[in-house]
Amino acid sequence: MCKSNPVSMHKSEYCISVSNLKKQYGKNNAYVVNSITFNVRYGTVFGFLGPNGAGKTTTLKILTTLLDPSSGSVCIFGKDLVKNQSEIKKRIGVVSQNPSFEANLTIERALDLYGMLWGLRDRKIRKEKVNEILETFELGSIRNAKNDELSIGQRRRVQVAREFMHDVDLLFLDEPTVGLDPSARRLLLDYIKAHVKSGLTVFFTTHIIEEAGYLCDEIAVIDKGKIIAFDTPAGLKQKYGRGDKTIELTFKDMLDKSFIDLLNTTISKREVNGEDNNNKNNSRSHIDVNGTHMVRITVNNAEQIMAEILQLVYINGLNIESIAINPPSLEEVFLSIINETQGKKMANE
Amino acid sequence: MLMIIDRILLLVYRNLVAAIDKVFLIWQVAFPVVYIFVAGYAYTAMMGNQDIKIGSLSVTYTSFLTAGMIGFNVMNGSTVAGSIIWNDKRNGMFQQLLVMPFSKVQYIIGNLITIILIGLASAAVIIIIGFPTMFGHVNITLWTIPYTVYSLVVGSIFFGSFTITLATKIKSSEGYNVISNGLFLFFAFVSSSFYPAQGLPEPLYVAFYINPLTYIVDISRAGIFSHVNGFTNIEVIIISFLAATVFLIATRSMVRMKI
Repeated sequence: MCKSNPVSMHKSEYCISVSNLKKQYGKNNAYVVNSITFNVRYGTVFGFLGPNGAGKTTTLKILTTLLDPSSGSVCIFGKDLVKNQSEIKKRIGVVSQNPSFEANLTIERALDLYGMLWGLRDRKIRKEKVNEILETFELGSIRNAKNDELSIGQRRRVQVAREFMHDVDLLFLDEPTVGLDPSARRLLLDYIKAHVKSGLTVFFTTHIIEEAGYLCDEIAVIDKGKIIAFDTPAGLKQKYGRGDKTIELTFKDMLDKSFIDLLNTTISKREVNGEDNNNKNNSRSHIDVNGTHMVRITVNNAEQIMAEILQLVYINGLNIESIAINPPSLEEVFLSIINETQGKKMANE
Repeated sequence: MLMIIDRILLLVYRNLVAAIDKVFLIWQVAFPVVYIFVAGYAYTAMMGNQDIKIGSLSVTYTSFLTAGMIGFNVMNGSTVAGSIIWNDKRNGMFQQLLVMPFSKVQYIIGNLITIILIGLASAAVIIIIGFPTMFGHVNITLWTIPYTVYSLVVGSIFFGSFTITLATKIKSSEGYNVISNGLFLFFAFVSSSFYPAQGLPEPLYVAFYINPLTYIVDISRAGIFSHVNGFTNIEVIIISFLAATVFLIATRSMVRMKI
């Protein structure tokens, strides 16, 4: 079943291969994970996204050997996960969603102990590694502090940093940036990116969709135990963004209601006339007014409608400060995927 | 096999370095010493310096109590095994260790070896501190000391497995503390730790010998006073069987525990 070469770590081969994976807690309960199939290539970051209760954590627990699957197969490094747990665990690192720490030890001592548990026996090498980690993750100032003396963000940073005490080929990150400030978050993501360049494979779950866009090579979206979308971030935007773009107009003058009404009429007219890229049924054109000087217009045919909008602006004697046309964000795409699936489900019911 | 032993020893090292509260360790030794020197001399005076009979042997109450405290201390120390699990669950380290190259069975064995080491070390300290009270009665020989050591090891396995089972079954740490303290109070005072079983009313005598701590204390005491006989060997067989059974229950319970 597990076909790839366990020694080779080439990008064309799969580091994780999941096939028809199912998990059920108790025979009479519904499947929490229901026949999911996906592959993760070596040296890539794989994003696993989904709303709360979608099955992300259960899948992660199965992949990290904490739970046994009900059925299906999981191969990691080309080896069957259930049969080769011990061997696989030696090469993976896991940063779980919940905090984990040695309450009685200082950060420096805890890192040292963690290195030892991972088989770093040489005290000198361990010490060098600890110092490197403390410096890289900017933890030097709290090296002598205990966990209960740290802020939530610092605790999280220690938890992530710890996994780099040993050499891992596959790193599971379950919401690793929760509680981190933007600079610490970027520091962590860039550190992971650098390791990925040197061959690390990352399985990444997050609620911060922009993070997934920044870090991930491929993304799977899971909802109610099933994978409902799978592609690269750009592919997902293309597939589920349906060409929607947002025109962001900032005016020097204050906007009035009559102008907004005119904008609405212009956009609606195009939809009624079927000019909205033949996408009448799924049209999600809308206008959001932001404060008194800014308006965001989401349309499917931004380039075509732009001339009409500018004409309206000219007729109404308004002065534009800035114009921007933005593609849909990954977050908008994610919401679109989830809403679409829920809509389909409701229609079927 | 060597790799498995190596992992278990790493877990033991981790328990000793990180998982056990140092204040608890001090209390672990101080508690029985207080018993020996306060209760021992107070009860001796109350009993009019009457000696205690262990079979054909006659010893002072303080030396009887000191020898009993060694077994009693094994039971007390075994609460560490359950506490390690609770603390690891609370601090997220239980789950973290299981995604590292350690299994649940290795984790249990690591905990049991930890409490065996604590039990042996505290027994050595109690013997050293309590030696003056046993002077003239202690008769440790190469033939009988293995009985004492064996009782401490098997006692640690029995009570350690017992607390591990409780820790995996009970949903709150408060519940775990209340139940383990309540049961250990019964184990402690309905046993031969503090007083001899001979001469007790029959129901109490039966209760003493339902209690595994009685076997542990009897065997440990037999080793210290060189008073090993056929009954001691029967007690060895019984407590070995009980320890093996409770260990299997603890392992099963741990393996089935939801994470």
